[in-house]
Amino acid sequence: MITAERKPLEELIEYIKPFKRLLLVGCNECVTVCAAGGRKEVGLLASGLHMAMLKSGTNIEIHEHTLERQCDPEYIDELVPMIDSVDAVMSMACGCGVQEIARRFKGKPVFPAVNTKFMGASERQGVWSERCQGCGDCLLGKTGGVCPIARCAKQLMNGPCGGSTGGHCEIGEDVDCAWALIWERLKELGQEDRFVEITPAKDWRPGGGAGPRKIIREDLAE
Amino acid sequence: MSFQKRLQANEFVVLAEMHTPKGVNISRLVTDARRIKGRVDAIVVPDMDNGIMRMSALAGGVLMQQQGVEAIIHLYCRDRNRMALQGDILAAHVLGIENLMVVHSEEMSQGDHSDAKTVDDLDEIGLLKAIETLQNGKDMAGFDLDGIPSFFTGCSIAPYADEAALAEELAAAQQKVAVGARYILTPPVFDVGQFASFFSRVKELGVPVIPTVFLLKSLAIAQYIANSEPGAHISDELIRRIRKSGDREQEGIQIAGETIAALKSMTQGVLIQTLGWEHKLPAILDVAGL
Repeated sequence: MITAERKPLEELIEYIKPFKRLLLVGCNECVTVCAAGGRKEVGLLASGLHMAMLKSGTNIEIHEHTLERQCDPEYIDELVPMIDSVDAVMSMACGCGVQEIARRFKGKPVFPAVNTKFMGASERQGVWSERCQGCGDCLLGKTGGVCPIARCAKQLMNGPCGGSTGGHCEIGEDVDCAWALIWERLKELGQEDRFVEITPAKDWRPGGGAGPRKIIREDLAE
Repeated sequence: MSFQKRLQANEFVVLAEMHTPKGVNISRLVTDARRIKGRVDAIVVPDMDNGIMRMSALAGGVLMQQQGVEAIIHLYCRDRNRMALQGDILAAHVLGIENLMVVHSEEMSQGDHSDAKTVDDLDEIGLLKAIETLQNGKDMAGFDLDGIPSFFTGCSIAPYADEAALAEELAAAQQKVAVGARYILTPPVFDVGQFASFFSRVKELGVPVIPTVFLLKSLAIAQYIANSEPGAHISDELIRRIRKSGDREQEGIQIAGETIAALKSMTQGVLIQTLGWEHKLPAILDVAGL
Protein backbone atom coordinates (compact mmCIF):
# COMPACT_ATOMS: atom_id res chain seq x y z
CA MET A 1 0.00 0.00 0.00
CA ILE A 2 0.93 3.66 -0.24
CA THR A 3 1.58 4.87 3.28
CA ALA A 4 1.04 8.33 4.67
CA GLU A 5 1.17 10.30 7.89
CA ARG A 6 -0.96 13.26 8.81
CA LYS A 7 0.72 16.64 8.69
CA PRO A 8 1.01 18.65 11.92
CA LEU A 9 -2.16 20.54 12.78
CA GLU A 10 -0.32 23.89 12.75
CA GLU A 11 0.66 23.45 9.11
CA LEU A 12 -2.90 22.57 8.14
CA ILE A 13 -4.28 25.60 9.99
CA GLU A 14 -1.92 27.84 8.02
CA TYR A 15 -3.40 26.45 4.80
CA ILE A 16 -7.04 26.95 5.76
CA LYS A 17 -6.79 30.22 7.66
CA PRO A 18 -8.05 32.40 4.80
CA PHE A 19 -11.17 30.30 4.19
CA LYS A 20 -14.63 30.06 5.75
CA ARG A 21 -15.92 26.82 4.23
CA LEU A 22 -13.75 23.76 3.73
CA LEU A 23 -14.39 20.37 2.16
CA LEU A 24 -12.28 17.71 3.89
CA VAL A 25 -11.98 14.63 1.71
CA GLY A 26 -10.78 11.21 2.81
CA CYS A 27 -9.98 8.10 0.79
CA ASN A 28 -11.12 4.55 1.45
CA GLU A 29 -8.00 2.91 0.03
CA CYS A 30 -4.38 2.88 1.25
CA VAL A 31 -4.66 5.83 3.65
CA THR A 32 -7.56 4.09 5.38
CA VAL A 33 -5.48 0.95 5.87
CA CYS A 34 -2.55 2.91 7.30
CA ALA A 35 -4.91 4.99 9.43
CA ALA A 36 -3.87 8.33 7.98
CA GLY A 37 -6.77 9.58 5.87
CA GLY A 38 -9.84 7.35 5.98
CA ARG A 39 -13.36 8.20 7.18
CA LYS A 40 -12.32 7.99 10.85
CA GLU A 41 -9.31 10.30 10.38
CA VAL A 42 -11.46 12.75 8.41
CA GLY A 43 -13.81 13.02 11.39
CA LEU A 44 -10.95 13.46 13.85
CA LEU A 45 -9.19 16.08 11.77
CA ALA A 46 -12.42 18.00 11.13
CA SER A 47 -13.00 18.28 14.89
CA GLY A 48 -9.37 19.20 15.53
CA LEU A 49 -9.35 21.93 12.88
CA HIS A 50 -12.71 23.26 14.00
CA MET A 51 -11.62 23.54 17.61
CA ALA A 52 -8.26 25.07 16.75
CA MET A 53 -9.91 27.68 14.54
CA LEU A 54 -12.51 28.48 17.22
CA LYS A 55 -9.69 28.97 19.71
CA SER A 56 -8.21 31.58 17.42
CA GLY A 57 -11.61 33.26 17.13
CA THR A 58 -12.64 31.96 13.70
CA ASN A 59 -15.54 29.72 12.91
CA ILE A 60 -14.91 27.51 9.89
CA GLU A 61 -17.57 25.35 8.27
CA ILE A 62 -16.08 21.92 7.47
CA HIS A 63 -17.88 19.44 5.22
CA GLU A 64 -16.63 15.87 5.49
CA HIS A 65 -16.67 13.32 2.73
CA THR A 66 -14.74 10.13 2.05
CA LEU A 67 -14.38 8.77 -1.47
CA GLU A 68 -13.93 5.15 -2.43
CA ARG A 69 -10.72 6.14 -4.29
CA GLN A 70 -9.30 9.60 -4.83
CA CYS A 71 -6.92 8.49 -7.57
CA ASP A 72 -9.82 7.66 -9.88
CA PRO A 73 -11.73 10.40 -11.73
CA GLU A 74 -14.89 8.29 -11.64
CA TYR A 75 -15.12 8.63 -7.86
CA ILE A 76 -14.01 12.26 -7.77
CA ASP A 77 -17.20 13.17 -9.64
CA GLU A 78 -19.01 12.53 -6.38
CA LEU A 79 -17.64 15.85 -5.10
CA VAL A 80 -19.29 17.89 -7.86
CA PRO A 81 -22.50 18.71 -5.91
CA MET A 82 -20.45 19.86 -2.91
CA ILE A 83 -17.67 21.85 -4.54
CA ASP A 84 -19.52 25.13 -5.14
CA SER A 85 -20.51 25.45 -1.51
CA VAL A 86 -16.90 25.50 -0.25
CA ASP A 87 -13.94 27.87 -0.63
CA ALA A 88 -11.24 25.23 -0.55
CA VAL A 89 -10.62 21.49 -0.39
CA MET A 90 -8.29 19.60 1.90
CA SER A 91 -7.46 16.06 0.82
CA MET A 92 -6.44 13.31 3.22
CA ALA A 93 -5.41 11.00 0.38
CA CYS A 94 -1.88 10.38 -0.88
CA GLY A 95 -0.35 12.81 -3.37
CA CYS A 96 -2.15 11.06 -6.23
CA GLY A 97 -5.54 11.90 -4.75
CA VAL A 98 -4.64 15.52 -4.02
CA GLN A 99 -3.53 16.01 -7.62
CA GLU A 100 -6.62 14.37 -9.06
CA ILE A 101 -8.86 16.73 -7.09
CA ALA A 102 -6.75 19.71 -8.17
CA ARG A 103 -6.99 18.57 -11.79
CA ARG A 104 -10.76 18.10 -11.60
CA PHE A 105 -11.60 21.38 -9.82
CA LYS A 106 -9.30 23.90 -11.43
CA GLY A 107 -10.64 27.03 -9.72
CA LYS A 108 -10.57 25.61 -6.21
CA PRO A 109 -7.54 25.68 -3.90
CA VAL A 110 -6.62 22.14 -2.81
CA PHE A 111 -4.33 21.33 0.12
CA PRO A 112 -2.73 18.08 1.28
CA ALA A 113 -3.49 16.98 4.83
CA VAL A 114 -1.00 14.11 4.83
CA ASN A 115 2.61 13.53 3.86
CA THR A 116 2.80 10.59 1.47
CA LYS A 117 5.64 8.37 2.62
CA PHE A 118 6.34 5.15 0.76
CA MET A 119 5.04 1.89 -0.66
CA GLY A 120 5.22 -0.48 2.25
CA ALA A 121 3.83 -3.35 4.22
CA SER A 122 2.44 -3.67 7.70
CA GLU A 123 5.01 -5.26 10.06
CA ARG A 124 2.63 -5.36 12.99
CA GLN A 125 -0.24 -3.29 14.35
CA GLY A 126 0.69 0.38 13.83
CA VAL A 127 4.06 -0.26 12.16
CA TRP A 128 4.64 0.02 8.41
CA SER A 129 7.96 -0.40 6.60
CA GLU A 130 9.15 0.52 3.16
CA ARG A 131 9.26 -2.38 0.73
CA CYS A 132 9.15 -0.98 -2.82
CA GLN A 133 10.35 2.12 -4.65
CA GLY A 134 8.64 1.34 -7.93
CA CYS A 135 11.93 1.00 -9.83
CA GLY A 136 10.05 -0.40 -12.79
CA ASP A 137 12.31 -3.42 -13.23
CA CYS A 138 11.65 -5.80 -10.35
CA LEU A 139 14.70 -7.65 -9.05
CA LEU A 140 12.98 -9.66 -6.35
CA GLY A 141 13.24 -12.89 -8.31
CA LYS A 142 17.02 -12.64 -8.11
CA THR A 143 17.36 -11.34 -4.58
CA GLY A 144 15.37 -13.89 -2.67
CA GLY A 145 12.29 -11.68 -2.43
CA VAL A 146 14.07 -8.87 -0.56
CA CYS A 147 14.46 -5.54 -2.36
CA PRO A 148 17.90 -3.89 -2.21
CA ILE A 149 16.55 -0.73 -3.84
CA ALA A 150 13.93 -0.04 -1.19
CA ARG A 151 15.59 -1.66 1.80
CA CYS A 152 19.33 -1.04 1.43
CA ALA A 153 20.23 2.50 2.57
CA LYS A 154 22.80 2.70 -0.23
CA GLN A 155 20.67 0.94 -2.83
CA LEU A 156 23.57 -1.40 -3.51
CA MET A 157 23.12 -3.81 -6.35
CA ASN A 158 26.04 -5.90 -5.12
CA GLY A 159 26.00 -5.82 -1.34
CA PRO A 160 26.53 -5.83 1.48
CA CYS A 161 28.75 -2.86 2.25
CA GLY A 162 31.22 -2.69 5.13
CA GLY A 163 28.57 -1.21 7.40
CA SER A 164 26.57 -4.41 7.79
CA THR A 165 26.95 -5.71 11.33
CA GLY A 166 25.08 -8.61 12.90
CA GLY A 167 22.33 -8.33 10.32
CA HIS A 168 21.86 -4.61 10.93
CA CYS A 169 22.48 -1.61 8.74
CA GLU A 170 25.05 0.96 9.87
CA ILE A 171 22.35 3.65 10.00
CA GLY A 172 20.76 2.03 13.06
CA GLU A 173 20.21 -1.22 14.92
CA ASP A 174 16.49 -1.02 14.20
CA VAL A 175 17.16 -1.27 10.45
CA ASP A 176 17.78 -4.66 8.93
CA CYS A 177 20.63 -4.97 6.44
CA ALA A 178 18.83 -5.83 3.20
CA TRP A 179 21.82 -7.79 1.97
CA ALA A 180 21.98 -9.83 5.17
CA LEU A 181 18.31 -10.64 4.62
CA ILE A 182 19.02 -11.53 1.00
CA TRP A 183 21.88 -13.84 2.05
CA GLU A 184 19.76 -15.60 4.68
CA ARG A 185 16.89 -16.05 2.28
CA LEU A 186 19.07 -17.36 -0.58
CA LYS A 187 20.68 -19.79 1.85
CA GLU A 188 17.25 -21.07 2.88
CA LEU A 189 16.40 -21.54 -0.77
CA GLY A 190 19.71 -23.25 -1.49
CA GLN A 191 20.56 -20.48 -3.97
CA GLU A 192 23.77 -19.14 -2.41
CA ASP A 193 25.40 -19.15 -5.87
CA ARG A 194 23.12 -16.26 -6.80
CA PHE A 195 24.82 -14.15 -4.17
CA VAL A 196 28.14 -14.16 -5.98
CA GLU A 197 26.69 -13.26 -9.35
CA ILE A 198 27.67 -9.71 -10.26
CA THR A 199 24.70 -7.51 -10.98
CA PRO A 200 25.52 -4.82 -13.56
CA ALA A 201 24.86 -1.09 -13.00
CA LYS A 202 21.13 -0.58 -12.86
CA ASP A 203 19.15 1.01 -15.64
CA TRP A 204 17.22 3.75 -13.79
CA ARG A 205 15.01 4.71 -16.73
CA PRO A 206 12.11 2.42 -15.81
CA GLY A 207 12.31 3.86 -12.28
CA GLY A 208 11.59 7.39 -13.42
CA GLY A 209 15.04 8.28 -14.70
CA ALA A 210 13.50 9.19 -18.05
CA GLY A 211 10.89 11.47 -16.50
CA PRO A 212 7.33 10.95 -15.23
CA ARG A 213 6.08 7.49 -16.06
CA LYS A 214 2.90 6.32 -17.66
CA ILE A 215 1.37 2.93 -18.36
CA ILE A 216 -0.76 2.59 -21.47
CA ARG A 217 -2.61 -0.70 -21.82
CA GLU A 218 -3.75 -0.78 -25.42
CA ASP A 219 -6.23 -3.55 -24.62
CA LEU A 220 -7.94 -1.39 -21.98
CA ALA A 221 -7.35 2.21 -23.09
CA GLU A 222 -10.34 3.95 -24.67
CA MET B 1 42.71 42.53 -17.43
CA SER B 2 40.62 39.67 -16.10
CA PHE B 3 37.21 38.71 -17.47
CA GLN B 4 35.57 40.06 -14.31
CA LYS B 5 37.44 43.36 -14.42
CA ARG B 6 36.68 43.87 -18.10
CA LEU B 7 32.98 43.28 -17.54
CA GLN B 8 32.97 45.60 -14.56
CA ALA B 9 34.78 48.26 -16.60
CA ASN B 10 32.10 47.97 -19.31
CA GLU B 11 34.63 46.56 -21.76
CA PHE B 12 33.42 44.17 -24.47
CA VAL B 13 34.39 40.59 -23.54
CA VAL B 14 34.95 37.75 -25.97
CA LEU B 15 34.41 34.21 -24.73
CA ALA B 16 34.87 30.97 -26.63
CA GLU B 17 33.45 27.59 -25.68
CA MET B 18 35.64 24.50 -25.68
CA HIS B 19 34.56 21.01 -24.76
CA THR B 20 36.70 18.55 -22.89
CA PRO B 21 37.50 15.26 -24.65
CA LYS B 22 35.61 12.03 -24.26
CA GLY B 23 38.79 10.32 -23.16
CA VAL B 24 42.14 11.56 -22.02
CA ASN B 25 43.57 12.91 -25.25
CA ILE B 26 43.81 16.61 -24.51
CA SER B 27 46.01 17.59 -27.44
CA ARG B 28 43.21 19.10 -29.53
CA LEU B 29 41.80 21.04 -26.59
CA VAL B 30 45.18 22.43 -25.66
CA THR B 31 46.10 23.28 -29.27
CA ASP B 32 42.78 25.04 -29.86
CA ALA B 33 43.18 27.04 -26.66
CA ARG B 34 46.71 28.11 -27.52
CA ARG B 35 45.55 29.18 -30.96
CA ILE B 36 43.22 31.82 -29.53
CA LYS B 37 45.27 32.81 -26.49
CA GLY B 38 45.33 36.60 -26.25
CA ARG B 39 42.38 36.95 -28.61
CA VAL B 40 39.63 35.94 -26.16
CA ASP B 41 39.09 37.01 -22.58
CA ALA B 42 38.15 33.57 -21.32
CA ILE B 43 37.29 30.07 -22.44
CA VAL B 44 34.02 28.60 -21.27
CA VAL B 45 34.36 24.90 -20.47
CA PRO B 46 31.04 23.01 -20.34
CA ASP B 47 30.85 19.94 -18.15
CA MET B 48 28.95 17.04 -19.68
CA ASP B 49 26.96 19.23 -22.01
CA ASN B 50 24.04 17.60 -23.82
CA GLY B 51 24.34 14.67 -21.45
CA ILE B 52 27.52 13.38 -23.08
CA MET B 53 30.01 11.86 -20.63
CA ARG B 54 33.34 13.63 -20.94
CA MET B 55 36.33 14.66 -18.89
CA SER B 56 35.07 17.01 -16.20
CA ALA B 57 34.91 20.78 -16.68
CA LEU B 58 37.05 21.28 -13.60
CA ALA B 59 39.98 19.49 -15.23
CA GLY B 60 39.30 21.27 -18.51
CA GLY B 61 39.25 24.63 -16.79
CA VAL B 62 42.52 23.95 -15.01
CA LEU B 63 44.09 22.92 -18.33
CA MET B 64 43.00 26.23 -19.86
CA GLN B 65 44.54 28.17 -16.97
CA GLN B 66 47.75 26.19 -17.42
CA GLN B 67 47.83 27.45 -21.02
CA GLY B 68 47.52 31.00 -19.70
CA VAL B 69 43.88 31.40 -20.72
CA GLU B 70 41.28 32.34 -18.12
CA ALA B 71 38.54 29.73 -17.70
CA ILE B 72 34.86 29.83 -16.87
CA ILE B 73 33.58 26.40 -15.91
CA HIS B 74 30.01 25.15 -16.04
CA LEU B 75 28.29 23.79 -12.96
CA TYR B 76 24.91 22.09 -12.98
CA CYS B 77 22.88 19.77 -10.80
CA ARG B 78 22.06 16.65 -12.82
CA ASP B 79 25.10 14.54 -11.92
CA ARG B 80 26.26 15.73 -8.50
CA ASN B 81 24.58 16.14 -5.17
CA ARG B 82 25.24 19.08 -2.84
CA MET B 83 28.24 17.29 -1.28
CA ALA B 84 29.98 16.69 -4.61
CA LEU B 85 29.12 20.15 -5.94
CA GLN B 86 30.48 21.92 -2.88
CA GLY B 87 33.60 19.75 -2.95
CA ASP B 88 34.20 20.59 -6.61
CA ILE B 89 33.59 24.29 -5.99
CA LEU B 90 36.22 24.34 -3.25
CA ALA B 91 38.58 22.38 -5.48
CA ALA B 92 38.00 24.84 -8.33
CA HIS B 93 39.09 27.75 -6.18
CA VAL B 94 42.18 25.95 -4.95
CA LEU B 95 43.11 25.04 -8.52
CA GLY B 96 42.87 28.66 -9.66
CA ILE B 97 39.45 28.81 -11.30
CA GLU B 98 37.91 32.23 -10.74
CA ASN B 99 34.74 32.04 -12.82
CA LEU B 100 31.75 29.74 -12.56
CA MET B 101 28.65 29.52 -14.64
CA VAL B 102 25.56 27.80 -13.28
CA VAL B 103 23.67 26.26 -16.16
CA HIS B 104 20.70 24.09 -16.92
CA SER B 105 21.53 20.48 -17.79
CA GLU B 106 20.10 18.25 -20.47
CA GLU B 107 17.76 15.61 -19.11
CA MET B 108 19.61 12.33 -18.42
CA SER B 109 17.47 10.29 -20.80
CA GLN B 110 18.61 12.54 -23.67
CA GLY B 111 22.29 11.82 -23.12
CA ASP B 112 24.64 8.96 -23.89
CA HIS B 113 24.22 7.38 -20.45
CA SER B 114 20.46 7.46 -20.48
CA ASP B 115 20.24 4.61 -17.96
CA ALA B 116 22.09 6.61 -15.28
CA LYS B 117 20.38 7.86 -12.17
CA THR B 118 19.63 11.56 -12.19
CA VAL B 119 20.77 13.42 -9.08
CA ASP B 120 19.19 16.90 -9.18
CA ASP B 121 19.63 17.30 -5.44
CA LEU B 122 19.73 21.08 -5.97
CA ASP B 123 18.37 23.25 -8.75
CA GLU B 124 20.09 26.22 -10.41
CA ILE B 125 18.81 28.66 -7.79
CA GLY B 126 19.88 26.32 -4.98
CA LEU B 127 23.32 25.91 -6.52
CA LEU B 128 23.80 29.67 -6.87
CA LYS B 129 22.79 30.06 -3.23
CA ALA B 130 25.23 27.29 -2.27
CA ILE B 131 28.06 29.20 -3.99
CA GLU B 132 27.08 32.36 -2.09
CA THR B 133 27.02 30.39 1.15
CA LEU B 134 30.51 29.03 0.53
CA GLN B 135 31.72 32.53 -0.30
CA ASN B 136 30.38 33.62 3.08
CA GLY B 137 32.57 31.05 4.80
CA LYS B 138 30.02 28.34 5.53
CA ASP B 139 28.97 25.12 3.87
CA MET B 140 25.34 24.27 3.21
CA ALA B 141 25.08 22.47 6.53
CA GLY B 142 26.23 25.63 8.34
CA PHE B 143 29.73 24.49 9.23
CA ASP B 144 32.62 26.99 9.04
CA LEU B 145 35.06 26.62 6.16
CA ASP B 146 38.79 26.60 6.71
CA GLY B 147 39.63 29.07 3.93
CA ILE B 148 36.94 30.83 1.95
CA PRO B 149 36.59 30.58 -1.84
CA SER B 150 35.60 33.44 -4.11
CA PHE B 151 34.25 33.39 -7.64
CA PHE B 152 32.73 35.53 -10.35
CA THR B 153 29.57 33.57 -11.03
CA GLY B 154 27.14 33.84 -13.91
CA CYS B 155 24.04 32.08 -15.12
CA SER B 156 22.33 31.41 -18.41
CA ILE B 157 18.97 31.79 -20.07
CA ALA B 158 18.00 28.61 -21.94
CA PRO B 159 16.68 28.75 -25.50
CA TYR B 160 12.98 29.56 -25.45
CA ALA B 161 10.30 28.58 -27.94
CA ASP B 162 7.71 31.32 -27.44
CA GLU B 163 6.70 34.35 -25.42
CA ALA B 164 5.38 32.27 -22.50
CA ALA B 165 8.65 30.31 -22.25
CA LEU B 166 10.63 33.54 -22.48
CA ALA B 167 8.60 35.09 -19.65
CA GLU B 168 9.39 32.04 -17.49
CA GLU B 169 13.08 32.21 -18.39
CA LEU B 170 13.22 35.91 -17.52
CA ALA B 171 11.48 35.32 -14.19
CA ALA B 172 13.94 32.52 -13.43
CA ALA B 173 16.87 34.72 -14.48
CA GLN B 174 15.64 37.43 -12.11
CA GLN B 175 15.74 34.90 -9.27
CA LYS B 176 19.22 33.79 -10.32
CA VAL B 177 20.48 37.36 -10.23
CA ALA B 178 18.87 37.83 -6.82
CA VAL B 179 20.84 34.88 -5.45
CA GLY B 180 24.21 35.84 -6.82
CA ALA B 181 24.50 35.55 -10.63
CA ARG B 182 26.53 38.53 -11.81
CA TYR B 183 26.31 38.06 -15.58
CA ILE B 184 23.94 36.26 -17.92
CA LEU B 185 24.70 34.25 -21.02
CA THR B 186 21.84 34.14 -23.49
CA PRO B 187 20.96 31.76 -26.37
CA PRO B 188 22.43 31.95 -29.87
CA VAL B 189 21.65 35.03 -31.94
CA PHE B 190 20.87 34.50 -35.60
CA ASP B 191 18.86 37.67 -36.14
CA VAL B 192 20.36 40.75 -34.52
CA GLY B 193 17.18 42.80 -35.09
CA GLN B 194 15.08 40.21 -33.30
CA PHE B 195 17.68 39.97 -30.54
CA ALA B 196 17.43 43.71 -29.86
CA SER B 197 13.94 43.46 -28.39
CA PHE B 198 14.92 40.42 -26.28
CA PHE B 199 18.06 42.20 -25.16
CA SER B 200 16.15 45.26 -23.97
CA ARG B 201 14.18 42.98 -21.62
CA VAL B 202 17.15 40.98 -20.35
CA LYS B 203 19.29 44.00 -19.58
CA GLU B 204 16.58 45.19 -17.19
CA LEU B 205 17.87 42.46 -14.87
CA GLY B 206 20.75 44.79 -14.13
CA VAL B 207 23.74 42.54 -14.88
CA PRO B 208 25.92 42.28 -18.01
CA VAL B 209 24.33 40.27 -20.82
CA ILE B 210 26.50 38.11 -23.05
CA PRO B 211 24.73 36.57 -26.05
CA THR B 212 25.94 33.45 -27.79
CA VAL B 213 27.06 33.39 -31.40
CA PHE B 214 26.79 29.90 -32.82
CA LEU B 215 28.81 28.77 -35.82
CA LEU B 216 26.46 27.33 -38.45
CA LYS B 217 28.68 24.56 -39.78
CA SER B 218 26.38 23.49 -42.58
CA LEU B 219 23.11 24.17 -44.33
CA ALA B 220 21.64 21.07 -42.68
CA ILE B 221 22.40 22.37 -39.20
CA ALA B 222 20.89 25.76 -40.02
CA GLN B 223 17.76 24.09 -41.37
CA TYR B 224 17.54 21.79 -38.37
CA ILE B 225 17.72 24.67 -35.90
CA ALA B 226 15.27 26.71 -37.96
CA ASN B 227 12.76 23.87 -37.90
CA SER B 228 13.23 22.58 -34.39
CA GLU B 229 13.79 25.80 -32.47
CA PRO B 230 11.35 28.50 -33.54
CA GLY B 231 12.70 30.79 -30.81
CA ALA B 232 16.10 30.79 -32.54
CA HIS B 233 14.79 33.04 -35.35
CA ILE B 234 16.81 31.65 -38.25
CA SER B 235 15.25 33.49 -41.16
CA ASP B 236 14.57 32.09 -44.64
CA GLU B 237 16.91 34.75 -45.90
CA LEU B 238 19.77 33.35 -43.80
CA ILE B 239 19.07 29.82 -45.03
CA ARG B 240 19.07 31.11 -48.63
CA ARG B 241 22.36 32.89 -48.05
CA ILE B 242 24.03 29.65 -46.91
CA ARG B 243 22.40 27.59 -49.67
CA LYS B 244 23.55 29.96 -52.42
CA SER B 245 27.10 30.20 -51.12
CA GLY B 246 29.87 28.52 -53.08
CA ASP B 247 31.72 27.82 -49.82
CA ARG B 248 29.17 27.08 -47.12
CA GLU B 249 31.74 26.52 -44.39
CA GLN B 250 33.24 29.92 -45.04
CA GLU B 251 29.75 31.41 -45.19
CA GLY B 252 29.04 30.11 -41.69
CA ILE B 253 32.25 31.69 -40.43
CA GLN B 254 31.34 34.93 -42.17
CA ILE B 255 27.85 34.94 -40.63
CA ALA B 256 29.23 34.27 -37.13
CA GLY B 257 31.86 37.01 -37.50
CA GLU B 258 29.34 39.53 -38.84
CA THR B 259 26.94 38.72 -35.99
CA ILE B 260 29.67 39.35 -33.43
CA ALA B 261 30.57 42.65 -35.09
CA ALA B 262 26.91 43.70 -35.05
CA LEU B 263 26.50 42.79 -31.39
CA LYS B 264 29.63 44.67 -30.36
CA SER B 265 27.88 48.02 -30.19
CA MET B 266 24.94 46.58 -28.26
CA THR B 267 26.05 44.02 -25.67
CA GLN B 268 28.83 43.56 -23.16
CA GLY B 269 30.33 40.62 -24.92
CA VAL B 270 29.78 37.45 -26.87
CA LEU B 271 30.27 33.75 -26.33
CA ILE B 272 31.32 31.95 -29.50
CA GLN B 273 30.13 28.36 -29.80
CA THR B 274 31.74 26.25 -32.49
CA LEU B 275 30.83 22.72 -31.31
CA GLY B 276 33.91 20.79 -32.39
CA TRP B 277 35.19 23.37 -34.88
CA GLU B 278 37.23 25.31 -32.37
CA HIS B 279 40.05 25.49 -34.94
CA LYS B 280 37.80 27.89 -36.86
CA LEU B 281 37.73 30.38 -33.98
CA PRO B 282 40.66 32.49 -35.28
CA ALA B 283 38.90 32.88 -38.63
CA ILE B 284 35.66 33.95 -36.93
CA LEU B 285 37.54 36.47 -34.80
CA ASP B 286 39.25 37.79 -37.98
CA VAL B 287 35.87 38.42 -39.63
CA ALA B 288 34.59 40.06 -36.45
CA GLY B 289 37.62 42.34 -36.39
CA LEU B 290 38.69 41.13 -32.95
